[in-house]
Amino acid sequence: MNRIALRAGIAFLLILVLLAGLGFFVFEYVTQADQWVVFAGSPHVYNGGNIGCGVITDRDGVLLLDLSDGRNYAQAEALRRSTVHWLGDRKGSISAPALSHYAAELTGYDILNGVYTYGKAGGTAQLTISSQAQEAALKALGSYKGTLGVYNYETGEILCAVTSPNLDPDNPPDLEKDTTGQYDGVYVNRFTQSTYIPGSIFKIVTLAAALETIPDIMQQKFVCKGVYELDNDKVTCEDKHYEQDVKMAFRNSCNCAFAQIAGQLGEETLTRYVEQFGVTQRVTFDGITTAKGNFDIKGASQYSIAWSGVGQHTDLINPCSFMTFVGAIAADGKGVTPHLVAQITSDGLTSYWGQTKNQSRIMSVATAETLQELMGFNVTDKYGSKHFPGLTVCAKTGTAEVGGGKKPNAMLAGFVADEEYPLAFIVAVEDAGYGREVCIPIIAEVLQVCKAVMDS
Amino acid sequence: MDFVSGLFYAEPAYIRVFTACLRYLAPVLVAVLLFRCMKPLLTFRKEPEIWAWLCLADGRKMSVTHWENVIGRSKRSDIVVNFPTVSRSHAVLTRYDDGSWTIADADSKDGVFVNKKRVRIRALQPGDVISIGGVDMELQPISRRQEKHLAQLRTKASTIFSSFANLFLLTVFQILCAVGFLLGGGGENAVDILIGFGGIMACQWALLLFYVCIRRTSFEVETIAFFLSTMGMAVLATVDPGEALKQLIALALGVVLFLVVGWSLRDLERAKKFRYVAAIAGIGFLLITLVFGREYYGAKNWLVIGSLSIQPSELSKVCFVYVGASAMDRIMTKRNLFSFIAYSVLICGCLALMNDFGTALIFFCAFLVIAYMRSGSVGTLALACTALGFAGVVALKIAPHALRRFATWRHIWEAPLEGGYQQTRSLMCMAAGGLLGLGAGRGWMKNVFAADSDVAVATVCEEWGLILVVLIILSVIALAVFSVRSASVGRSSFYTIGACTASCIMLVQVILNALGTVDVLPLTGVTFPFLSNGGSSMLCSWGLLAFIKAADTRQNASFAVRLTKKGGAEDE
Repeated sequence: MNRIALRAGIAFLLILVLLAGLGFFVFEYVTQADQWVVFAGSPHVYNGGNIGCGVITDRDGVLLLDLSDGRNYAQAEALRRSTVHWLGDRKGSISAPALSHYAAELTGYDILNGVYTYGKAGGTAQLTISSQAQEAALKALGSYKGTLGVYNYETGEILCAVTSPNLDPDNPPDLEKDTTGQYDGVYVNRFTQSTYIPGSIFKIVTLAAALETIPDIMQQKFVCKGVYELDNDKVTCEDKHYEQDVKMAFRNSCNCAFAQIAGQLGEETLTRYVEQFGVTQRVTFDGITTAKGNFDIKGASQYSIAWSGVGQHTDLINPCSFMTFVGAIAADGKGVTPHLVAQITSDGLTSYWGQTKNQSRIMSVATAETLQELMGFNVTDKYGSKHFPGLTVCAKTGTAEVGGGKKPNAMLAGFVADEEYPLAFIVAVEDAGYGREVCIPIIAEVLQVCKAVMDS
Repeated sequence: MDFVSGLFYAEPAYIRVFTACLRYLAPVLVAVLLFRCMKPLLTFRKEPEIWAWLCLADGRKMSVTHWENVIGRSKRSDIVVNFPTVSRSHAVLTRYDDGSWTIADADSKDGVFVNKKRVRIRALQPGDVISIGGVDMELQPISRRQEKHLAQLRTKASTIFSSFANLFLLTVFQILCAVGFLLGGGGENAVDILIGFGGIMACQWALLLFYVCIRRTSFEVETIAFFLSTMGMAVLATVDPGEALKQLIALALGVVLFLVVGWSLRDLERAKKFRYVAAIAGIGFLLITLVFGREYYGAKNWLVIGSLSIQPSELSKVCFVYVGASAMDRIMTKRNLFSFIAYSVLICGCLALMNDFGTALIFFCAFLVIAYMRSGSVGTLALACTALGFAGVVALKIAPHALRRFATWRHIWEAPLEGGYQQTRSLMCMAAGGLLGLGAGRGWMKNVFAADSDVAVATVCEEWGLILVVLIILSVIALAVFSVRSASVGRSSFYTIGACTASCIMLVQVILNALGTVDVLPLTGVTFPFLSNGGSSMLCSWGLLAFIKAADTRQNASFAVRLTKKGGAEDE
């Protein structure tokens, strides 16, 4: 019997296995449960594909979405429409990656209680966007498809970012029956998920590269006869600009001049600077990663390089990413990453603060200052300062040919140079026409509201 | 969240307060209850029972503390006779239920002599002189009076008062559970919930009262089983309240099976005869299933009779333990395990044909435990494990559905909507529950397939918290530790092997079920003893528990162990 009794110890082997497995699991639980609970589709955190807990407000505390009891959006339809691409819709067709990113904070999850809350559920997320600016931008975009974004290039707060077409989550259209095409791409957040052919706003990039690498660029003269012949092909201009310096060529948005500048820079330099400026790179913030742009002139002909230098060819930019680039120019060559979530509080305690995230320097201060001056000159000399009372705006318009029998996309990128209003912006309007005619009135309206918001 | 918070807003304040309190109260209550139950199991004093004295010619008197005793030179022998002419394991001295003794030769070199005559096995008469390797000795069985006196000197297992107190605590917990479910949105299933919890209460109190009648006081093992069954009912109350009555009937039948198996084990000679019945029944269940069984979810392990569906392989487990257990004289004289190995291969073969690999794995572990306890040979086991490895590889090649489970193992988050669905939902819900749970009936796990069986642990964790899950697992471990501790004061190796195998089967089931749910191991669809919904599983768990109870030799502890005869009269 003694021997058998000793052999009975074999059970301890199994006990050991069980305890080791249990210990391993408890370790995983302690270290990973906060991720499990907010994993996409987690039944206590999501409903209909989007996060289902917490309260979301704008920068001033205006309620955008209350998830503590069902899914209640803002009262005003304009506000619901203008924010739906950040908050997500009821079915989860429009996703809300920024909210999902802070699901743990919004659920009020902690390891002791899980997602259990006594009565009221979850945390409150305050976004950086302003409900007034959102509504204004929605109105300004009108029936156009496109996107508009404004952010503070000193702090990184996104003040306004609107996508059109959009939908009212409380009264969604029947998309299956829609044949007008007015809701094409309605589920996409064009500000972060889309890419656009930049057109002439890309001349900012070419110019910046030239300022960094060609010492006498400001002294050079460029001749424009309306056409610039290259490789038995022609780069065309809207107009004949004759002889002009780079400042005037930038003001005139002269394709012929910029084709020459691109030629001077060459494949290698231009590619390197596009890379360095981060123009085509993804921007990541608050769980959002923007779409990747495109700039590919590897082994391309002089002709293609020329068109690339003026934002055509295969160039693609993401609006949010390009806005960040323009913001860096405004901030003397060293920008900040945009962000959407200002803070999250739960039971009176702040569990998350949105912080300003500095980027590395992308260009010299001198280059940035020259660009500021030249972009400012565009407005004062061409677009008209009268559109922007009380604001010193620097900008560059673009008219991006998309082909396919559609009108060009109207583009605009720029910033406000005033110290009190450190705002950079981007406007992309599809199937619209000239950037100057379409985008300037739109951004003029929105900037005034942004100014008012910042004043208050 | 939508749904849950919706509930909160619609709920009157008193329900919210009750839920908030129960979240803390439940783990505390269960911790206290299980601590009270586990402590005596883990710390009881191992007081040997004395059955006889062996008097040597030199006047030394050695106590005989088991029913089966190996006499030999080896230090591991029960009765050590350190004399060069004595073999390491020389003879086996065996006591029978009627108080008679035999001595048997354990293949010794020089043989065993009784009254100078060499014997292989022989019943001992008073005054017989046993001679082992030239050492003469005489067996002096204790008298009835001495027996009674010694029994009185031993510490009683536990007082009936503490058993009542434990069961009272459990009852309080059950009432709180039921109220929690009734308030937590289970109003429409009120009848089922009341029947379920009320029925368990009735069963447990009836069993305790029966124990009082037959003068048994120890109820820790049973209390743990009833507690686990209660948690199983809590899972059902949220997942499928309509099954409550069915599960309750299974529990009642389980208790009956527990008593029947325990009764059959009470008399060792009877038990040994039962082995043959069990052997035939064990294989019979499987053969019947193989012929008439129906295939659900890839495994042909269901037998459908009318509206009743049972898994006979569960009952085969109990039979297998019966078959595997063996008395010492047999172990020492017939050292080979061939017939048992052949039987095990037959069983595993049937299970492989049924595609029931989870159960086959349990049987294989049970086989290893039995083989090791009987032979003590690690080499044999290594051989067996290698054989299983090969069989496993072949099985995975043949059965793609088993392979798929391995494919998602440790990769569930990469296929959260396909192969990893059950486990990812389980982990999400377990995380959502935190350490204290969301409250009775407030979980989401009911929407997951097999939330009341294969992944029942996640359902418990979501609603009752991780602390309770850990406590549940610890309570099963306590049962196993108790079996091991009882072994050293066991009467017969038959009981010891039975109890250890039974607890090892439970351990393996917990390992596969609980660790499978949380993706530490692949999900195998094995049930959790007492906790998982399923009548066959419940019956099997109680049947196994009887073996643990039969090895409990603490004074007045177990109904499956005869009390010391009182003034010559049999106590039945």
